[in-house]
Amino acid sequence: MRRIFVYIISLLLCLFVSAVTAQKKKQIIIPPDSTHLLNGFTVHVDAASLVTSTLMNNSTYSMEGGIQLDLKHKIFPTIELGFAGANKTTNDNIGYKTSGMFERIGVDFNLRKKKKDSKPTNNLFIAGLRLGMSSFNYNVTNVTITDNYWGTNESNNYLNQHTSKIWYEIVAGVQVEVFKNFFMGWTIRDKNLLSSDAAGNVAPWYIPGFGLNNGTSWSFNYTLGYHFGSQKKNLKSNKVLLNQKKIIKQINNN
Amino acid sequence: MKKSIFIVLLFSILLNYSCTSDETCTQTKYVKLTTNFYHVHYNDTTKIYTTSTLSVDSLTVQGLKLDTLTGQYHLVDSILYNNQKKVSSINLPLNNSSTQSKFRIRFNAIVDTMTIYHTNFNDYLSLECGCIKTHSIDTVITTHHYIDSIQIKIHDVNTINAENIRLYN
Repeated sequence: MRRIFVYIISLLLCLFVSAVTAQKKKQIIIPPDSTHLLNGFTVHVDAASLVTSTLMNNSTYSMEGGIQLDLKHKIFPTIELGFAGANKTTNDNIGYKTSGMFERIGVDFNLRKKKKDSKPTNNLFIAGLRLGMSSFNYNVTNVTITDNYWGTNESNNYLNQHTSKIWYEIVAGVQVEVFKNFFMGWTIRDKNLLSSDAAGNVAPWYIPGFGLNNGTSWSFNYTLGYHFGSQKKNLKSNKVLLNQKKIIKQINNN
Repeated sequence: MKKSIFIVLLFSILLNYSCTSDETCTQTKYVKLTTNFYHVHYNDTTKIYTTSTLSVDSLTVQGLKLDTLTGQYHLVDSILYNNQKKVSSINLPLNNSSTQSKFRIRFNAIVDTMTIYHTNFNDYLSLECGCIKTHSIDTVITTHHYIDSIQIKIHDVNTINAENIRLYN
């Protein structure tokens, strides 16, 4: 219950911060060309995973980045790549070690509807889906079985265990253009594994790109990105949008 | 702007911390062989055998461990059931490092020795819980001073509470 409360509070505050950031923009931004199919692409890295890895004593760590295409400023096909791992020792001295690459492919949709009298903006409110996959090796060491009655003690190591995991993610978040072509944003992800481990199998404790192997998990990404692809060139070739620029200038002069 | 970035980062960290799991094992690791006692009645007139639950007035159960040096069995120091009254069911721990577990059972004043031959399996639960040893009963041999016969009901001995053996008097 406490976790859900913290989660909701975090979500509301993040929404508030994003709203304030968007409102503070005094300059009117030239919107991307919604008549062109491809409006460039954004390369981004995740800052949240880097910070939390350091604060969690590197028991788990993750680095990831991605490329997001801008199709008509409505659809955003995305590829994300990363490297993650865990080096964990429990209170009972059971060790878990893994590291591996992970990939996600998916698509985001811009949910922000353009109103006729609203100021043009590159900011996005997105929702989307991802399909994630990771194939990795892991070791589980020093798993002891103590029999207090018969007075026996046995220690087992499960080395070079290999598995592949596939999961899907429901993604929601915002992206704000803080400087020209420089974006910041966050996404909240609900992750769900598409397969479960058979009982008795030495299941992985941590899955690169997914997190703790609990069937479902939540995660938070804070992305920093740069948009490639000149929007001005596109605009010059579009007479309709040139008229828009004139209107924007008039508003600025007023 | 810097302040906004700081707040978002701070809450992302808090969120990640709130979603980390603790290391408490929530699964049961209790693996015991369950033996229930029954009494067999024979009705002379109808010539039908009927069974009923048997409650033993006084019961003492102790393991017998093989001394590898002498090749002889000796009693385990810890007593599983010590002169316990009105017992109709017992839970016995099988030996994890051997394929046979021997028990000395004293029913009131009569002593029987029961030997269970079993196969052992490692059953990994999770990183938090570790591993347990489960068993499959192969056969059971007993002396017949108090015990009349034994029936294996369920061969698998694991964390599921099930009747593994029926012991008839």
